[in-house]
Amino acid sequence: MLKKRFPIPLFPLKSIQSNISLAFSLLILAAIVLTSLVSFQVSVTTVEKNSKGYIEEIIKQVNLNIQSYVDNMENISLLALTNKDVKYYISDNSFISAEDRRTYEKQISDLFQAILYTRKDIASIMVFGYNGRFVSDRRITSLNPNTKLQEQEWYQMARAAGGKSVVTSPHVQSLIKNEYRWVVSLSRELKSTDGITAEGVFLVDLNLNVINDICSNINLGKKGYVFIVDKNGNIVYHPQQQLIDSHLRTEQITKVLQASSGDSFIVDNEEGKRIYSVQDTNFGWRIVGVANTDDLITSKSDLRNSIILYSLYGLVIPVLISIWLSHRLLMPIKELQSDMKQVEKGNFNIQTEIRQMNEIGQLGRSFNLMVSRTKFLMEETIANQENKRKSELLLLQSQINPHFLYNTLDSIVWMAEQKQHEEVVLMTSALAKLFRASITKDQELVPIQVEIEHITNYLLIQKMRYNDELNYVIDIDDAIHSYKTLKILLQPLVENAIYHGIRNMYGMEDGMITIRGRQSGDQVVFEVEDNGHGMTPEQQGRLLLSNTGDSRTQGIGIRNVNERIKLYFGHEYGIQIKSEIEEGTCITITIPKLD
Amino acid sequence: MRNQRLTLWLLLAMLVIATNSVFYFKILSGPSHEERNITVILRSSNVRIDFWQAVNMGAEAAAKEMGFTIKVVGPLSESDSDTQIQLLEEAIERKPQAIVIAPIMNDRMRSTLFKANELGIKLVIINMSPDKLPSHVVVSSDHIEGGRLAAQTSVEQTAGYAVIAMISDNANSIVSEERLQGMQSELAGYKDSSLLGVYYADNSEDRAYQIANKLIQSNTRFNTFITLNESASQGVARALKEQDRVDDINLIGFDSSSDEVQLLESGIMKSSIVQKPFNMGYLGVKTALNLIDGDTTEPITYIDSNVITKGNMFTAENQKLLFPFINSK
Repeated sequence: MLKKRFPIPLFPLKSIQSNISLAFSLLILAAIVLTSLVSFQVSVTTVEKNSKGYIEEIIKQVNLNIQSYVDNMENISLLALTNKDVKYYISDNSFISAEDRRTYEKQISDLFQAILYTRKDIASIMVFGYNGRFVSDRRITSLNPNTKLQEQEWYQMARAAGGKSVVTSPHVQSLIKNEYRWVVSLSRELKSTDGITAEGVFLVDLNLNVINDICSNINLGKKGYVFIVDKNGNIVYHPQQQLIDSHLRTEQITKVLQASSGDSFIVDNEEGKRIYSVQDTNFGWRIVGVANTDDLITSKSDLRNSIILYSLYGLVIPVLISIWLSHRLLMPIKELQSDMKQVEKGNFNIQTEIRQMNEIGQLGRSFNLMVSRTKFLMEETIANQENKRKSELLLLQSQINPHFLYNTLDSIVWMAEQKQHEEVVLMTSALAKLFRASITKDQELVPIQVEIEHITNYLLIQKMRYNDELNYVIDIDDAIHSYKTLKILLQPLVENAIYHGIRNMYGMEDGMITIRGRQSGDQVVFEVEDNGHGMTPEQQGRLLLSNTGDSRTQGIGIRNVNERIKLYFGHEYGIQIKSEIEEGTCITITIPKLD
Repeated sequence: MRNQRLTLWLLLAMLVIATNSVFYFKILSGPSHEERNITVILRSSNVRIDFWQAVNMGAEAAAKEMGFTIKVVGPLSESDSDTQIQLLEEAIERKPQAIVIAPIMNDRMRSTLFKANELGIKLVIINMSPDKLPSHVVVSSDHIEGGRLAAQTSVEQTAGYAVIAMISDNANSIVSEERLQGMQSELAGYKDSSLLGVYYADNSEDRAYQIANKLIQSNTRFNTFITLNESASQGVARALKEQDRVDDINLIGFDSSSDEVQLLESGIMKSSIVQKPFNMGYLGVKTALNLIDGDTTEPITYIDSNVITKGNMFTAENQKLLFPFINSK
């Protein structure tokens, strides 16, 4: 069911460690990506908000500066407005003689000059009376004959405003001959003392330098700038006015006009993301500051890059740690796994190390318990098997070779018929002793002395049967008589020597069996040597192979001996066969020296 | 097996760190942060020559808009071709990404430009017609269009019956020849207007004055002078004033020196065809930037001219053209 519901498993990787690492990494990745995005967004908004405030502040400052210049011009115009000389000079009366006029002109001109001296930003101050008289800040003023006063914008505006001061856009002032200055003009219609009759127009020109300097010295970033529009949306001042005139550039005039004073808005088009901040002056201009967001404080891409960098560090380091952690966490499981592999291979001596009593520790403890239990059971089984084998072998050795028994009894009958009583007695008693040794079950280990008696009895019977064909020598060191050996150790070997070595000899003469026994270090070594037929290497091999091929009793005899030695004393002990065809065979038995 | 997997993970992590740090530094040192390097070589850097100062201003405006600084150089005299070639060679040594140049053209200049082109420096030629130059991009006033405008204006001012005497500098001037060409092609469209003749005054006010005097005093009937440069305008204006023929012979000039402004203002010169040098500088640098960025650029960008008359000379747009500098005078 579960498999059907998840065609792709929740943890697709093979090892738990990889799965844990992957899961950790994905979680960390998700968390970091989320926080990075949020912090980036928050930073960007904060930067933009700060920038907006910053630009607004700057534009307010620009506004104040420009306002103060205009206010100054207005103050100057008030000065002229209230000056009696000016009023009198332009008033429509005829009782000033030509000479008096010169005096007035001089006085007014001096006044204007004095003002001009204190103010470098003012280009010129002039008064034009409707009576055709005019005074400027200069002693000698030659007006440009080609410029018609009535056509000038400032003149028309002042007349239309009727006593209020008006400010023009920047323009080239061509009033004075050979002079073309960029100025901003403030003009105002002058009234007579009664305050009703208009008598002339007063003009103050402010050098455009001033506004240009104010606007161009503002630091709004590399690409930032300030521009000014009037309330109808005409551009009063723009650093790239020529481009706008030629339609190489457009400006966001409509949006600027829609915004209210103190507002800012953001324009995002192919020229980049820009903040526009708008301020109104009280004489009808809107001052607009434009700054590119990328320019401000930290650029957005730098911000993004550093956030990416830090989140990368923040990603890589936890991922490495998570790999390390999962590695650490799963190390006991992996150890347990490798220990289990050892057990699989058959090494039951292993106990896994338990570090902490957590779930894995408990698992390890159970594993240890299981292994030790298994080991115990295995050992028990092996012991049982050995015991069973031993008793089997015991049973085997207790059985007397029926051929031997038959032949011996046949010999006894034959000797009895010959009335050789003594020989019959000797042989029968030897046979009886032989049997007693075989059936004594209580003791597996016997002194070597007993074994010697047993083999002596056996050889006695065989000697009586074979007479001169069989000769033997028993040469056993007296010093080892008291050591213990397995019983019926030598008899199968001697039997083998007789049946396979000597009996097959041509002529059956001079068959010789030598039995030696001595100690060598902490071992006891027996040798059974015959001068018989000898064996081929295959025969030798077959002699010791267990349970295969030849099942003749004799074979089983030597094999049994070998097996029994190994069962009782261990694998380093046992039988060695040395044989040459036509030369004879020497079988060596090695057992430990046992008291 | 276990160790292998762990190593694999570590390797993967290293790889991620490595690629990303490389990527990161690439962003930092990438083209967006590379200093853009453009040199502008004018025909003259003389502060008294308004035309080139306006070109300079336009170039600076473009640089400011794109947020980088440019280097502007030029010889003092408008005809000092040796110094300009030397400046160009110095600029080539600095290996800028692009050079915007208003060349004083001769064979040596041509070969130096070829050299710059071979070195992979992008070239933008300003105020020059696309003629026998190495692969390049041209930003220039359309002088043919200027000539056409002059002819059109003269026809309008004479109610369709223009007979034009044209005073040029010399027959080798490419600009003048193009203006003449434009004029002739425009005149071909009016059956009652004609070109009386082309006279060469070689940049000399006196020669222009003499030619004009002679023409006025002769019995030839004509009603329009078109002068292709400032000295010719001055000479013709003097003759017109002296002969008191200001009212019945129209003078149409090119460009706008301060003297010409006064001629316009006083009505002696009826119209002037005024180029837009600011726009030329601006578009020259912008085009160079496009070339550097590999954007598609027009091989030729033409900049139009304005017809200025006494009536429109103080409009917001035209006074910027006639008086480009707030600080001047």
